[in-house]
Amino acid sequence: MSTKEQADRIELLQGTLDLLILRTLLLGPAHGHAIAKAIEFNSDDVLQVEQGSLYPALHRLIKRGWISFEDGTSENNRRAKFYRLTPKGRRQLATETSKWDKLAAAIARILRPAGEEP
Amino acid sequence: MRRRKRMMEDLDRDIRDHIERETEDNIARGMTPEEARFAAFRKFGNVTRMKEETREVWSFVWLEQLLQDICLGFRMLRKSPGFTAVAILTLALGIGANTAIFSVINGVLLSPLPYKNPKQLVVMKENDSLPNVMDIQRQVRAFSQGGGINVEPMDYTGGTEPVQVRVGLINAGFLETLGVQPMLGRIISPGEDVQGGPRLAMVSNHFWQNYLGSDPHAVGKAIHLGGNSYTVIGVMPASFAPPAEHADVFVSLWVGNPGAAAYRGVHFMHTYWRLKAGVRLAQAQTDMAAIDRRLAEQYPAEEKERKRHLVPLHEWLVGDVRSALLVLFGAVGLVLLIACANFASLLMVRAVAGRQELVIRAALGAGRGGLIRKTLTESVLLSVLGGAAGLLFAQWGTSMLLALRPEKLARLSGIHMDTRVLLFVLVVSVLTGIVFGMAPVWIAARADVAEALKESGRSTTASTMGHSIRKILVTSELAVALVLLVGAGLLIKGFSRLRSMNPGFNSANVMTMYLQLPTTRYGEIPKQTQFRRELLTRLNFLPGVLAAMVTDIPLGGNYVDHRFVIDGRPPVAVGGEPEVQTLSVMGNYFHVMEIPLRAGREFTLLDREGQPLVAIVNEEMVREFFPHENPIGVRIRWARDTGPPRWMTVIGVVGDVKHSGLNQPTDPAVYTPFSQSDEAWRRFMTLAIRARDASPGLVEEVKKQIWSVDGQIPVGDVHAMDELIAVSLAQQRFNMLLLGLFAALALILAAVGIYGAMAYAVNQRTHEIGIRTALGAQRRDVLRLVMRDGAKIALFGIASGIAGALALTRLMARLLFEVKPTDPATFAGVAILLALVALAACYIPARRAMRVDPMVALRYE
Repeated sequence: MSTKEQADRIELLQGTLDLLILRTLLLGPAHGHAIAKAIEFNSDDVLQVEQGSLYPALHRLIKRGWISFEDGTSENNRRAKFYRLTPKGRRQLATETSKWDKLAAAIARILRPAGEEP
Repeated sequence: MRRRKRMMEDLDRDIRDHIERETEDNIARGMTPEEARFAAFRKFGNVTRMKEETREVWSFVWLEQLLQDICLGFRMLRKSPGFTAVAILTLALGIGANTAIFSVINGVLLSPLPYKNPKQLVVMKENDSLPNVMDIQRQVRAFSQGGGINVEPMDYTGGTEPVQVRVGLINAGFLETLGVQPMLGRIISPGEDVQGGPRLAMVSNHFWQNYLGSDPHAVGKAIHLGGNSYTVIGVMPASFAPPAEHADVFVSLWVGNPGAAAYRGVHFMHTYWRLKAGVRLAQAQTDMAAIDRRLAEQYPAEEKERKRHLVPLHEWLVGDVRSALLVLFGAVGLVLLIACANFASLLMVRAVAGRQELVIRAALGAGRGGLIRKTLTESVLLSVLGGAAGLLFAQWGTSMLLALRPEKLARLSGIHMDTRVLLFVLVVSVLTGIVFGMAPVWIAARADVAEALKESGRSTTASTMGHSIRKILVTSELAVALVLLVGAGLLIKGFSRLRSMNPGFNSANVMTMYLQLPTTRYGEIPKQTQFRRELLTRLNFLPGVLAAMVTDIPLGGNYVDHRFVIDGRPPVAVGGEPEVQTLSVMGNYFHVMEIPLRAGREFTLLDREGQPLVAIVNEEMVREFFPHENPIGVRIRWARDTGPPRWMTVIGVVGDVKHSGLNQPTDPAVYTPFSQSDEAWRRFMTLAIRARDASPGLVEEVKKQIWSVDGQIPVGDVHAMDELIAVSLAQQRFNMLLLGLFAALALILAAVGIYGAMAYAVNQRTHEIGIRTALGAQRRDVLRLVMRDGAKIALFGIASGIAGALALTRLMARLLFEVKPTDPATFAGVAILLALVALAACYIPARRAMRVDPMVALRYE
């Protein structure tokens, strides 16, 4: 990974990883590696996630009851842990998303006041 | 807990799985298997940290980590017992000394007085008479209650030999004011506290235990005091004692000494007052000034020119001791500072030495926070252990303090370890650990992994930085030690001045003994004179004994002042006459005490009743009142004379005597013969007996002679004159000893500090010194090299110490006797002493440096 490449990437804000995991699981249960891949893919590789940090976050979400997990078999016939959004997690995702929208809009208003062209 | 275990096991599998998948993906993108695996790991990040973070999700993180850190800390400490022992011992000394002094301060200054609402209690600085006390009680609205006490020795004849007990002659208000509840029975009521009232006594717990056999039915029993029978009506609780004195029995003054009770002009009671709730001292003082004026108008002869001053009781009791204790507390704080500096520099050395380990931990993924926590845990662990060991020191130190304590502190014996003291130790040790553990943490926090791994653990930036911090620490240690040494030096100098002070008499081989004649049989002066003369005759018959008597012995704590008038001088307004110390003597007093005669003659046997009245004055009296004339032949009289004037002719001048203490100025004094006295109330006397050898047998022999004259006379206050001098020096001695001890402690700690720093520096430079030697440097050069470093530190330390001492010793001016706080000789002497000790401490490592064998040193890698 060159320095140039790194400069284009953005480190995740505290707590946003949780939100991204919940969002990813909205489409259906997935195992750890798949979640990491999905986040990277969906963000066009802009977001830099240390893949390892996914695991503490997953455990945090399990502890809060926002996701559950089950053992299953993955596409290449390997045993893996599948994470699934709980109803509580779904509600949490809705609140967090609207909070995020408000925050993003507010910051955008401050950074780019009306009438100013980007 | 079970869930957590399962989750963690799954996690391992998940991570393995994750990395395998990532590797497979990478291979699919065309990497070699090896590259692919490496890239997968890099993308994943630090596996161990992720695991730890995940574990934290499932645990009571801080508690578990703390326990883990403590266990690790203990393991580390056990691994280096030498370091651990030195660190703990250093802190134990500092914290122990602090705790000992703090527990004294806690007992004396911080604990409330053992009376009801002690904050409302005030004391009148001046003694007063009962009629005045009663007037003030009636007229001052700021007080809710008030009362006075005068302690008089009386004989208690309960057993075979009469024993002298201390009887507190009080008015009813006294016990009420202090708010004491009797343990048994009751206290005297105002109705019984009148002239001709019933003979009632309240006894102290001590008296009840020792003389009444702790009899639960003691109330109602009769006891014999001073030849009269009193009924016990109450027993005081063990916690109770009058504020400033000791008393065994309490009796109404009206009943115990009716003669003295009625005199307005005999000011002998210590009086205590309770402010009404919400009333301030200033207001009471204003009321008091009004009373002063009113009494002066009404009773000009007795009360003119008298001013009464009120002081909060607590302040009055601890006033003298307070400044000494605060200075000592400051001093002991400085000792702790030095100990802490040593502790910090020990930790620094360890941190520098242990840097490799820290760096490796950091390289393996330990978070910075974790490293700091680990280092701090270790230093706090050490400081808390040091505090615990310090408590043991303090326990021992406090008992030593109690043994050394001056009389003034003896009364306040409530000195012990309580929760406040324990809290103090805990706070001090934890703070020490955190604050002084910060330095190595700083080094740890700056650990630059790559840089540190490259260096081989010697002469690197970090250790140079550590060394310069150590130099600063040692410099400040020396500075602080100098401040303490100067303080101690000043006290020692003051004390030796005080010791070498001529008291005006020769105390060697003189024994003193206090006697008081009972009113019943010795009410008139001729009776008293007869007893005195008979006793002195018998005592002087004893082989090798010279005996005389005086009303109040020097350094005994008492004397009486009289106003006087000089014949032929213009009259002075009534009540405005000058005052002099008034002493009556019998026997060859000046000869026995070896007080030199300066002019005129001493009293002879012929200066007795019926003969012309005579007086001898001291030199101070001459200096003050007869500076330009010959006092011999001058006539003086007491201003209180109401009948025909009793003129006394001055027949001699004697040397000054330090009556109230060696550090007190001498007052003008007049001596008169006992046999010419007109004051029947002065029925007391102190024997002064000079013997070739003052053996205990002598005391018994003297007592036998006293009782052969009158078998009912109690004997008290038997002291060697040397002992009285020692007691009068006790407070100064106490201050000097303690500050001296602290200074010595500081000196040792500072010496250890500079020795440690230099030894470490030499050790670090072994390689360099080896090269220098190999290149032809002489031993002398090596010695100079090391000593120059040490000397620089010592010089800086001493210079800043002198500046600090100049600023700080002012605070102890009150404790010094005839020594200026900036005494140049003391400063110079102490600076030289410290310089010598510092250089000696440097010399040991310097000598080791000189012996460095270049071959060995160059191989030393």
